[in-house]
Parts: sequence; structure tokens; C-alpha cells
Amino acid sequence: MAEELMKKEETDETEELLEEDDSQKGMFMTFQIGKEFFGISISYVNEIIAMQPIAAIPEVDDYIKGLINLRGKIIPVIDVRVRFKMESCEYTDRTCIIVIDVKSTMIGLIVERLADVDTIAEDSIAPPPSLGRKEHEHNKYVYGLARTGERVTLLLDPEKLIKQDDIVAAMEEVRKEEQS
Amino acid sequence: MAEEFNTESMLDMFLYESGQLLEKLEGIILEKQDADCFDDADINEIFRVMHTIKGSSGVLMYENITKVTHKLEDVFYYLRESHPDNVPHMELVEKVLAVSDFVTGELDKLKNGDTPDGDEKQLVEDLDEFLGRLKGEIKNQGIQMPQANKHVEPTQFYITPVAGDDSHFYRISIHYRSDTQMSNLRAYSATYALKEVAEDLLYTPDDILSNEASADVIVAEGFHMLLQTKSSKEEVIALIDSSEAEEINFDELSKEEYGRALSEFGREEAEPVVVAPAAAKDDGNKEAKKEGPKPGDYVVKTKEAGKGKTLAKNQPKQQSIISVNVEKMDALMDLIGELVIAEAVVLQNPDLKVPGLELSNFQKASGQLSKITTELQEVIMSMRMMPLTNTFQKMRRIVFDVSRKLGKDIELEVIGENTEVDKNIIEHITDPLMHLVRNSVDHGIEENAEDRTSIGKPAKGKITLEAKNEGGKVYISVKDDGKGLNKEKLYQKALEKGLIENKPINEFTDKEIFRFITLPGFSTKEEVTEYSGRGVGMDVVVKNIQSISGRLDISSVEFEGSEMTLVIPLTLAIINGIVVQVGNSPFVIETASIKEFVRVGEDSLISEPSGEEYIVLRGECYPFIRLNERYDLPDSVDKIEEGIIVVLEHEGSQVCVLIDKLLQEQEIVVKPIPPYVRKVKGLSGCTQLGDGSIALILDIAGLLMHDGERR
Amino acid sequence: MKILLAEDDFASRKFMDKQLSRYGECDVMVDGEEAVDAFMMALEDGEPYDLACLDVMMPVMDGYQVLKAIRDIEAQKGIPKSKRVKVIMTTALNDERNVKMAFELGCEAYAGKPIDVEKFEKVLKKLGLI
Repeated sequence: MAEELMKKEETDETEELLEEDDSQKGMFMTFQIGKEFFGISISYVNEIIAMQPIAAIPEVDDYIKGLINLRGKIIPVIDVRVRFKMESCEYTDRTCIIVIDVKSTMIGLIVERLADVDTIAEDSIAPPPSLGRKEHEHNKYVYGLARTGERVTLLLDPEKLIKQDDIVAAMEEVRKEEQS
Repeated sequence: MAEEFNTESMLDMFLYESGQLLEKLEGIILEKQDADCFDDADINEIFRVMHTIKGSSGVLMYENITKVTHKLEDVFYYLRESHPDNVPHMELVEKVLAVSDFVTGELDKLKNGDTPDGDEKQLVEDLDEFLGRLKGEIKNQGIQMPQANKHVEPTQFYITPVAGDDSHFYRISIHYRSDTQMSNLRAYSATYALKEVAEDLLYTPDDILSNEASADVIVAEGFHMLLQTKSSKEEVIALIDSSEAEEINFDELSKEEYGRALSEFGREEAEPVVVAPAAAKDDGNKEAKKEGPKPGDYVVKTKEAGKGKTLAKNQPKQQSIISVNVEKMDALMDLIGELVIAEAVVLQNPDLKVPGLELSNFQKASGQLSKITTELQEVIMSMRMMPLTNTFQKMRRIVFDVSRKLGKDIELEVIGENTEVDKNIIEHITDPLMHLVRNSVDHGIEENAEDRTSIGKPAKGKITLEAKNEGGKVYISVKDDGKGLNKEKLYQKALEKGLIENKPINEFTDKEIFRFITLPGFSTKEEVTEYSGRGVGMDVVVKNIQSISGRLDISSVEFEGSEMTLVIPLTLAIINGIVVQVGNSPFVIETASIKEFVRVGEDSLISEPSGEEYIVLRGECYPFIRLNERYDLPDSVDKIEEGIIVVLEHEGSQVCVLIDKLLQEQEIVVKPIPPYVRKVKGLSGCTQLGDGSIALILDIAGLLMHDGERR
Repeated sequence: MKILLAEDDFASRKFMDKQLSRYGECDVMVDGEEAVDAFMMALEDGEPYDLACLDVMMPVMDGYQVLKAIRDIEAQKGIPKSKRVKVIMTTALNDERNVKMAFELGCEAYAGKPIDVEKFEKVLKKLGLI
């Protein structure tokens, strides 16, 4: 919640972290996709569940894998790999679903493997490089790079992760419809 | 939280009571609109309603409401005391309705948190003028003038808390220089200054005085405040001592953001708890009145020390009082659905399948459990049901208003208004029904009474509004004895507008011709009148009805009248469905839309070069959809003789769908597909099957539409 | 006009004091018992209060108890209804039951918090205080 408010108000990241809730301050759920590590502020994370059967929905973006039943609540799940335009990989027993709550929208993120909950000090967060090579695809979801030990963690902005493209896609659809 | 159940705020009570009274009032008026005058009981009742609303609005100081109701009360006071003859009844009815509309409008403003600022002057003048004439009439008739109606000015007032709409919400963060001494005292003086203008003030850290260590926290992390106030940003800034402060961040928040920020500041709802004695609650009013209230009975626990002090709580606006929030009902329904599934998991647990296990007691107990869960399901369903009474009441008003404006004499008969329908459905049918009723008054009934009498019909038109419940469906019909639909005219018009294929009229059935009026762009009346055909036509009605899986039946005989019937499901939440499988995915099809299941061979299939496919059944040709191709489902049956053909019907159109196999028939609890996933055509929702897996529900109308678009 | 203000919450007190001081001399009490004492004292000195603003949620004696005590004292001393001190309850407890009870106990007005200053003034006028 804290950041959510702040994001609207301010753009300066240092401010943002200053204002966070004490208990969750600087805590990130980190996970691995391919060789890279990603982090999501723990305040978004509702719970972590094991991989479970997913009911596919036809005619949706490929990264929306379908629906799962979370104790009677039906929530969509997206595959973060596919979201980053990477090849989807096979789901194993290490694969799990991070259920996040972004502005009351519950969404499951399929991630290859969970890493850890890390505390990342604000001064170790740097803005993402403006011209990334490999990071290019997911650059727009990444708002910061954190260096912890030898590892670099890419910090994700969940709001952008679940939105942005959809808006772009929706716009495209409208355009298409207008043409035809 | 518990006290929220039995305490309604003063304002809510006022809104609720007044709303109820007005509804009752309107009921009386509309019932007696055609009578020559009100009888004594009605006059008393209307007087009482006005008196009550006048009194309570006086206490709450809504002066315009008080004035208007006061005047009408006067009118009815004279009617009650003097029983004059020759009261212009229609005019009186209009006056009462005007007052009722005015007050309703003001109440709506209050509900929305606005100020009831309607101008009552004109209305009061009108009533005054009417009252003057009434008094003259009383004098003329030689009846003794009663003593003037005595009004008791209220001596007690209730000042409603400010709605907070003109309040501003700020988040203020002060960062002090790192060498600042006793920053906690500085922070405190800031809060002290702000308290003068604050309606609500929260700050963190909140133990600034009692905890000296908080000074370090403030220096390190800043001092953060949430402020609700009427003062402007400049005024607030001026109050804060900015010496030693390195940086002051000042953000104005919206009310919603403020609400969210509250929880972030750790505001537990530290509302004071009012402990009422059990006796006062249980024994009701009698006891309480006899003994009089004892103040000491209401022990008010003050807030716990150390918690964020709160001056005010965000007043919840208008809660529904008898009706439960639908969200809560849905949550309960979800839980019950879960319970049923959990029950299945327990009762069919593989652990029980040990050979030779003695289970007779278990079976008995589980039988009992199943019975209870089934009952539970039925109860929750019945809780969602509401009678159509209110909806029909609205229709009465429409018939009254429209027929008077159009100068038509129309009688409305209402049958079966107690029929119960799921609340969600009621919300969906009100607008379509209103449209149908307006249509009947406007287009159905003849313009002139002579047009009626000349063909032997009574001069007064009649509209019948009927609801009944049959076989899991609700039928709501609007029937008029007007001119009926002219098939030839409809046909010509549809042809002119290019809405139909050009084929002779006798190739269309009556039903098909009547359905022309539901085509987009069709309107039988050339001019668009004020009451119907305001650009929205019957096509919108049909669309709305289809969205709740209902349909519109039309029947009509020229010169005798027309009947429009809405056929809608009893409930949206549970449907009878058949679970089928395509590839690895289960789908649900509503049982009612299935005509038959057949197995056919390759020879029944016609493929067009364009890729379109048709199935021929008993000489009839049906469009054919392969679900696996449409939805790109792997591992499914491709050869039609290996699968099953389901013939589906919707609104008279049929389509054949290929599936792999049938799984089972069961009651399906419909859940919406999360809005995050964009709408998929041909799917109306999803559900959870007995094993916890998710099945998608096919929407036949969408499927047909999609098919049409593709062509 | 002489005003008695009883309010335990500091911020509310400060706010109300500022508002009320515009109309007259305002004595501020922090709990219910003090309020009753002050009321008694004023009565004995022959300079009774014209207006009393009582918070409901106060330590020692709550606003209802104070209100009842005030009305009892007045009845005992044979003060006629028209000469009684005008009482306005101020509280965030806006549910109907509490409001009705306050009315039955004999307060003139009941102001929900946050207080609508404009309406408050209107009531003072209606009560003939300003």
C-alpha cells in the first residue's frame, strides 16, 4: 500500500523507500528467471503457492496462462518468462506462483524458482541503465537495480508488470477495429 | 466492529425512514389516482407521513424539506378537519407527487454526501396558492373553518457531522536537519499547531513525547503526518514551524488515498466501544421508557492510551439497512461453494477406500452433513431473492406520468408483484421493463379514445403488468389492449431500412416479423417522442435481457393489442449445466440451451471451399463450430464421428458444436472471469467443479454472434 | 454569554475553544466531574452558564452522566425549563440510539463530530443564544 500511494505522489525512489512501512521496509521477494534475479517489494505479495493446475483461457495474450482456484477465489496467472518475451520453460516442482495484490487486483505470477526474501538498502539501488542490452525487454518493468553481494537483483514494478502492455494491446485492438 | 451491526447513524435512520414513508406515500397516491378523492384513512396517512418527515427534517435542520412538508401537512390538515367537497383530486395528486419528488431528490443528495440545497420556494408558493383556494372552498361550502394547524417548532436539534467533502487531506512529512536537538519536541509543536484546524490528525512515530528515542527516529526517517482539515494548504503551511526543518513535503491526497494511508499509519479502528446493558437491548423499548435511560448504563470506554488519537472517524455514507451488501452475500456464497467442495473431498477421500472398513456410522454422519450443506445452499439462494414489488411500483408511476402527459386514459393492472427474483436480475430488468411499459403507453394504446370506441373497445385503455414464476424461469409481461402490431407495416419498414433479406412476407413467420422491431435501427414511429424511442430502441432492451441470459417474446394481434414478455432465469448465480470436455479443458453449457446430443458420421458434414462447415441433421442444415479449433485446444477429437455434436439453440437460431465427451450434469455456481483477463467472446463466466478445477461457461449468444461476425 | 466546555481530547478541546470563544467567555474542563463541579459553582455564584458543550466520551463521568446530573440539579433547584442551561452534546457517536438517548435526557442539540461549524452557529441562533 505504502508505495502505491507514493508512486502516484513522487517519482524519486529514495523518497519512496523512506516512506515505506517500517516492518516491510526494503524487503523484497526475490526469484530467479533464467540466470537473472528479480525482486518484488514484499508489500505486494499476498502469498506463495505451489504450482497447480491452470485452466487455460482461449483468445488471450500468451503470457496469461489461465485461471487458478485459490480457495474459491478465481484468479488469473501470468507467466513472467513469457511476459519478458522469453521462451516459456517447463514447469517443475521448483516452479511456483507468487500471488500479488496490486490495487485490489489479485494476480498470480509464475516464476521458475523462488530465491529469498532480501532486505535491500536503499543506497544500493541504482536506476536501471537507460540502454540495456539484455535487459531491454523487461526494462520497462524494472525501476531499479540492486546490488547485494555479488548478485544483481532487478526490482520490478508490479503495476507496470501487469498493466502497460495490456493498454498498448488494447489500443492496438481499437486501432484494428477502426481500420476494419 | 461488532457495534456496527446494531447502530445506524442518525442520518442513515432519517434517510431510511423518510425513504420508506415516501414509498408508502407514493403507493397510496398511485392507487387512488383514479378515485374521486382520498378517503379519511388516506388523508390521515398522508398527513402523518408529512408530519413525521417535517419533524425529523426539522431536527436535522434540512430547512427546505421542512418547509415543503410543512405546507403539504397544512393542506392535509384542512382536508382532514373540514372534509370539503369538490377538491380537485388530480391537482392534489400532482401536488403530493411533486412534494414527494422534491423530498426524494433532496434525500438522494444527502445519500451522495451532498448538501440538500434544492430551492423549495416555487413549490411552497404553489402549495400556498392551492391551500388558499382550498380555504376559499371551505368557506363557500359553509363549513366552519378549523383552527389553524399548530406547528411545534423543534426544540432539539441534531447537527450532522460535516460530510468531509469540503475537507482537504494532506500528507505532511518533515525532515529535520540531522543535528536537530529534541526533534520530537519540534514535531510535537507541529502537531500542537495543527490540532487547531484538524478534523483528524495522525502522525508517526506516535509516541513523540513519551519516548525520547523517537527523536532519533524522527531525525533519521522524518516525521510524517496525515491531516484532515478544512484549511487550505497555505494556511496549514503557515502553522508549521519550519525552522530546523530541512525539507517539508506536502501532498494533498484524495479521500480514497487518505483512507488507504490511514491503515498505513497503523490506524486500527480504535473506535470507542459503547457497552450497552444487556437488559436494555433485550427488553426493547418498554422497559427503557418506563425507567428512563440511565446515563451510567452507557459506559464509554475511552481510547487506549498510546494509540493514534483520532478526532473523527470517516463517516460511512448511507448503509443499506435491511438489505445486506451483495458483496458479503457473494462472499458467503463463495464460502458455501467451498464448503460443498471440501465436503466432497472428505466424503470421497481415498483414505476411506480401505477394503473391509466399517463405515456405517461415518455414512450416517456424512449423510447429515450433506443435508445441512444442501440446505445452507438453498438458504443463501433464497436470501438473494427479492419481490418485484418495488420495480412494479416504479412502473405505476411511469404509466401515470406518461399517460397524463400524452392525454391518454389508461388503467394499469398489476398481477403477481410478489414474485421473487434474484437481486442482480432485478437490477438488470428495471430499465428494459421501463422501456416496454413506456412503449405500451406511447405506441401501444391508441392516440384517441374514438379510435377505440369506434371498434367496440372501451374508451379507457388497459395495460396489464404481470409476473409469474414457472419452471425455473420468471415471466414478466407487459400487455396492452391497444392497436397491436401491423405485420405488413413492420415488413415494409424493415425492408426499406435494409434490415432483412428481400423475400416475400409470407416466408416469414409471425414471430419473425414481430422480432423485426428488436433489430437495431428499427423504430415504428417516425417521430421520436419524449417517452420512448429516445435513440435507444428495442434492440437495447433485447441486449440487456440477453446479458442476463433472458429473452424477449413478442405476440400481438392487430387491433386487439400486444404482449411483450421477458423470460428471465430465476437466478444468475446458479445454473443447471452440463459439463463437457474438449481436449483437456472442461466447459459448461447451460442445460436449457441444449436441444440435443447426436453422433453423426463424416457424411453429414458439408464443407464449403471458404472453410465454413455445416452439419445436416434430418434434412436441416446447421452451422458447425469446432470448439477445439475456435479456441485452439490441443489433444482433442478431430473426426466428428469420434466426438459428440451438441445442438444449441438461442433465440431461434441453432448451431452445432463439436465436443469430445460429456462429463456430467450438475448445478453450476457461476463466477465472473476476473476482469483482468479481457472479455473473450463466447464465454460468459467460469465455475469451479467438484474436484476444485475450473471450467469455462459457454455463452451461446456470444458464440453465435462471434460466428456471425466471422462470416 | 457564559459557556462551559467539557472535552477530554486535547485537539478537539482546542478546536472547540477557539470556535466558542467567538460567542462568549468559555470555561474549559477536561472531564465530566469537573464539568459538573463548574456548573454547580457557577450556579451558586449566581452566574449560571448559558451554554454547555459536553463531549460524550470523557473519563470519570461521561457526557450523558453530566447531562443527567445537570438536569437533576436544575430540577432540584426548581429552575424553570426556559431558564435551563442549553446543552449541546458533541461526539463522534452518531448512531440513532445514542442521539435519541441524549434527547431524552434533555439536551438541546447533538452535534456529530467532525462538527459542522455553520450548522452549529445556526443552532445557537435557533436556541436564542446569539
